[in-house]
Amino acid sequence: MLERRLYYHIDWAMLAGIFALCAIGLAQIFSATGGFTRIYYTQIYGIVFGLFAMAICLSVDYRSLADKSHWIYLGILLLLMYVLFFGAVRGGSRRWIDLGVVNLQPSEFAKASLALVLAKFFGESRRGAITREDLAIAAALAAVPLILIARQPDLGTAVTLIPVVFAIAYVAGMSMRIVGVLALVGVLVAPVAWKFALKDYQRERISTFLDPAQDAKGAGYQQIQARITVGSGGLWGKGFTKGTQGQLRFLPVAHNDFIFSVLAEEQGFAGVLVALGLYLFVILRALEAARLAKDRLGAYLVLGVLASFTFQVIYNVTMSAGLAPVKGLTLPLMSYGGSSMIATLAAFGLILNVRMRRFTN
Amino acid sequence: MAIQEDRRRISVRLTVLQVACVVVFAALGISFWLLQIVEHAKYEEMAANNHQRTLALRAPRGVLYDRNGQILVDNRHSFTISIVREHTKDLDRTIRMLSEVAGLDVNNVRTIVARHKAEPSYRPIVVVEDASLAQVAAITARRLDFELPDVVVEEVPTRQYPAEGVAAHLFGYVGEVSDAMVASDDSLKSGDLVGQAGIEKIYNALLMGQDGARVVVVNSLGREISTLEEVAPTEGKRLQLTIDYDVQKAVDDGFKAAHDARLTNAGAAIVLDPNTGEVLAYVSEPAFDPNTFAAGIDRATWASLTTDEQHPLNDRAIQGRYSPGSTFKMAVAMAALEEGIITPDFQVHCAGAANFYGRSFKCWRPGGHGTISLRRAIEQSCDVYFYTVGNLVGIDKINKWATLLGLGVKSGIDLPNEAVGLVPSTQWKQEKMHEKWYAGETISVAIGQGQVSVTPVSMAVYAATLANGGTRVTPHLLKAVDDGRGWKPVPAPAPQSKVELDPGKLQAIRDGLWGVVNGGGTGNRARVEGHDVSGKTGTAQVISNAGRVAAARSGKDLRDNGWFVFFAPRDKPEVAGVVFLEHGVHGPNAARVARHIVSTFFAKKEGRPLPPPPTPADMQFDFSDPYGLGHMPGAPPPEEAVNDTH
Repeated sequence: MLERRLYYHIDWAMLAGIFALCAIGLAQIFSATGGFTRIYYTQIYGIVFGLFAMAICLSVDYRSLADKSHWIYLGILLLLMYVLFFGAVRGGSRRWIDLGVVNLQPSEFAKASLALVLAKFFGESRRGAITREDLAIAAALAAVPLILIARQPDLGTAVTLIPVVFAIAYVAGMSMRIVGVLALVGVLVAPVAWKFALKDYQRERISTFLDPAQDAKGAGYQQIQARITVGSGGLWGKGFTKGTQGQLRFLPVAHNDFIFSVLAEEQGFAGVLVALGLYLFVILRALEAARLAKDRLGAYLVLGVLASFTFQVIYNVTMSAGLAPVKGLTLPLMSYGGSSMIATLAAFGLILNVRMRRFTN
Repeated sequence: MAIQEDRRRISVRLTVLQVACVVVFAALGISFWLLQIVEHAKYEEMAANNHQRTLALRAPRGVLYDRNGQILVDNRHSFTISIVREHTKDLDRTIRMLSEVAGLDVNNVRTIVARHKAEPSYRPIVVVEDASLAQVAAITARRLDFELPDVVVEEVPTRQYPAEGVAAHLFGYVGEVSDAMVASDDSLKSGDLVGQAGIEKIYNALLMGQDGARVVVVNSLGREISTLEEVAPTEGKRLQLTIDYDVQKAVDDGFKAAHDARLTNAGAAIVLDPNTGEVLAYVSEPAFDPNTFAAGIDRATWASLTTDEQHPLNDRAIQGRYSPGSTFKMAVAMAALEEGIITPDFQVHCAGAANFYGRSFKCWRPGGHGTISLRRAIEQSCDVYFYTVGNLVGIDKINKWATLLGLGVKSGIDLPNEAVGLVPSTQWKQEKMHEKWYAGETISVAIGQGQVSVTPVSMAVYAATLANGGTRVTPHLLKAVDDGRGWKPVPAPAPQSKVELDPGKLQAIRDGLWGVVNGGGTGNRARVEGHDVSGKTGTAQVISNAGRVAAARSGKDLRDNGWFVFFAPRDKPEVAGVVFLEHGVHGPNAARVARHIVSTFFAKKEGRPLPPPPTPADMQFDFSDPYGLGHMPGAPPPEEAVNDTH
C-alpha cells in the first residue's frame, strides 16, 4: 500500500518538528505532575496510538478518504449525538465516550472530518469562485457539529471548527467583500452574544480577563497566576522540575491547559522561543504542503486541518501568558490528552499524505 | 486557464496566510519577551511572594536572675493559633471551622479577625494566645487533613513570672508594641512584644532579643512544603538583678500575714544595701499577675485591673505619695543638729501639749513625756519635742536637710515613672501658692504631717542615708548583664548627693533609733536579737480628726497608714529599708514585717535556716496602742489620741 517511492516523499523535517514538540510536552507533563505518574504514561500511550492513527491516515490516499468523507462526517455526527445523550460526565460537561479502558472525545476528531468534508466540497466545485450558496452549505456543514459540541458544553472545541471553514473558504476564493461583511457582522453580533448567548461563567471569564484584579481569588486568579508563571521564568527559566508556580499548584491544570506556562517558567524565554519556533516551523511546513499539493482538494484538506491546529496553538499560547481569557483549550501536541493527541497526529497524517502524494496520479 | 488562475489565487492567499502566521508568532514572541525579560523582576517577586512565606521566630526575652543566680523571670513555650488569610478562599468558613475545632466563640474570632482586616494578608492574625494542648492537637490534625490549611500553630516563647504576683511591679509586664512606638523607634516593628512597665520596660533594649526568621515554601493551599532559609533568633541579654529572692519573699510573707490578719492588703516595701544602693527587695501591694499580660491579656482581666478601687496597677513604691508621719522627725533632728541649733543634749519639757503661734498642739501621749532630750524624744516619738525643735530650725533648713537625706526628691531608681514627694519650703509656697509661709505651718511639718509627702522609695533612701552617714545612694536594680559572653558587672550609679554628717550628731540620732526598737520604744516589734535593728515607726493620718467623723459613714478605709523605716545593725549598717502599710493602722505593724525582713537577711548572710514567716496573729494585736498593750482588736480607739504620729 505504502509504496517505496512515497516513503521518500514523507516530510521528515515536519515529522521531526512534531516529535520534538511531543517530547517537550511529555517532559513538561513529567515535570508538572511529579514524575512517572499515570498521566505521564497515558500521554505516551496517546502518542503511540497517535502514531498508528497517523500511519493509517498517511497510507490511504487522501482522495479515496475524501471520497468517503461524508460517511466519516456522518459517523462523527452520530458519535457526537451519542455523547450528548450517553456520554460520560466530567466537570459538568458531557464530552467523553467511556470505553472502559480509555475515554474517547469525539469532538477532537470532528475537526479533521469537517476539514475532509469541506475540502471535498470546495475541491470538487467546478465553479471558479465560490458563491454565497457554497458558503451557506459550508457554514451549515460546520454548524451542525459546532452546535452539538457547544451543547456538551465545550465552547472552546466548538469554536475551533470555525477557522476550518474560514481557512478553506478563504483560500478557495471567498471574495474579500464577504470577508469584510463577515468581520462586520462579527463585531455587531458580539454584544448581542454577550448578552444572550453566553453563560454567566463565560461572561465572568471575559470580564475578569479585561481586569483580572477585580476577582484575584476567583476567575481572575488563573490569569494572574499564568502571567506570574511566565514572567518569573526569565531568560533561562527556573530549570526542569524547578518551577514553583506549576509545582506548588498556584497554576491549575498545569499539565493540561497551562502546559506552555510551565514550559515558560522552567525553560524560560529561551525554551519559549524554541517551542514557538517549532510550532511555526511545523505550520509553515504544512502551508508549504498546501502549496505543493497536487490538487485543490489536497490544498484545502491541508488548510482545513492546519487551521484548527494553528488557531488552537495561538489561542492557547496567548492564554498561557495570561493574555487571553481562560478557556478550556489545550495546546495540540504538548498538552495532556489522549484523544487530542491521537486526533492531532492523525490530522498531520493527512497533511503528510497530501504532500507525499503530490507526484502521484 | 481557470486552473492556472486558481493556482495563482491559492498561491497568493497561501502567502498571505504564511505572512500572517509569521506575524502572529512574532507578536507572541514579543509578548513573552515583554513578560519574561522586561517585566521579569516584577513577576519573579510576585512568584516569590506566592510561594514563600517568612515566619518570624520570636526571640525569647532575657532571663532575669536574682543576686544569687536564682531565676526570677524565665520564658516558657506556648502555642499561638493564627489565621493566615493569604490563600483563604472562604474566610468565614475557616473561622467557623476553627471555632468549632478549638472550642472558641465564633463571634469573638470574627471580631479579632475584623480588627486586623487592614493588615497584609500574609501576616498571621493571632486568634488564640497560649493555646491548650488539646486545641493544638485538634487543629494540627485538621491541618493534616487539608481542612484548615490557613490556620497556623506556632510555638512562641512566653514570659514566665513567679506565681502570685511576686515583685509584679518590679518586673512589670510585656505587651504588643504600640503604633506610636514603632513610628518613633526604628528597631521596633509592629507585633513586637515590648516591656510596658517595670524592669521589662526600662531595660527593654537589653531584654529584647533579635527575632529570627524562617522562610518557607508554601503551596497554593498555604501548606508548608519545605524550609528555604532559617535565621535563628537571638535571645535577649540575661540580667542579674540586685534583688535577693529570699529577702523579697520575706517581704511578701510579711504582707501576706498583714493581709491574712485583715489588716491591709496595700502598701509597699523597699530594702536596700545602704552602702551601694542595691535594691534587695521591692514590693508594691496589691499586685497583679504579670503572666496574664504575657500571653495577651483579655479585656475582662484588664477591665478588672483598671477599675479595681485599690488600683493594683499603681506602683505604690515609687508612685504613691503619703505623709511620712513620725518617720520625718529624724530629718528635723538632723537639720537642727547640723545647723548647730541644738545639741543632742538639748532638752524640752513635754506636758502633753504645747502652744505655738496661739494654737495648742498636742503630743500623742496625753500625759506628756516630761523633760526629754533628743535620744529619748526619738525613742518615744515625742511630738512636743519636735514641734519645739522644728520651730527653732524653720522650714527652709528642714527642707535642705530632708532633701540631703533623700526626701522630696526623686531617688533616681532605674524604674519608669517615679513620682516625686514634697518637702515644703518658703520658696515652694511662694511659687505654687503665691503666699508667704507661716511659721505655724512648720509645727505640723516637724512631725511629718501637713504638706510633707514622701514616696516609699525615697523613705528607703532616707533610711540608707542615715545608715551610711550622708551618702544619698541611688537605688538600683541591675547588677550584671550577660550578653552571651559571660556576666559583666554593671557599675553602681553615682550617689545623688553626699554630705559629711558629723559622726557624733549622727550617732545621737542612731542611738535614738536603736532605742525605738531595743529600748522599749514604738518599734520594739522589729527587734532582732544580736543585730541592733534601728528604726522609726510612723503613723500617718489619712484624714483629719474632724473629717474622720464626717466621712465615717462613707465606707472608705480611713484607717491610718503605718510606716517603719529601719537599718541594721546600728553601727555598721548592712541593710536599710522601709515598710509601708496603707491603712495598716500603726507603724508597729510595719515594724513586725521589717523584723522578718531583717532576720531573714541576717539568717541568710550567716547561713542559718531562714526564719518562719510571720503569722496573722503576729499582726493583729495592735489596733491602736503603739505598745500593743491593753487594746485588743475591736476595742474603740482611745479618745485622746490626736495627731497620731508615733
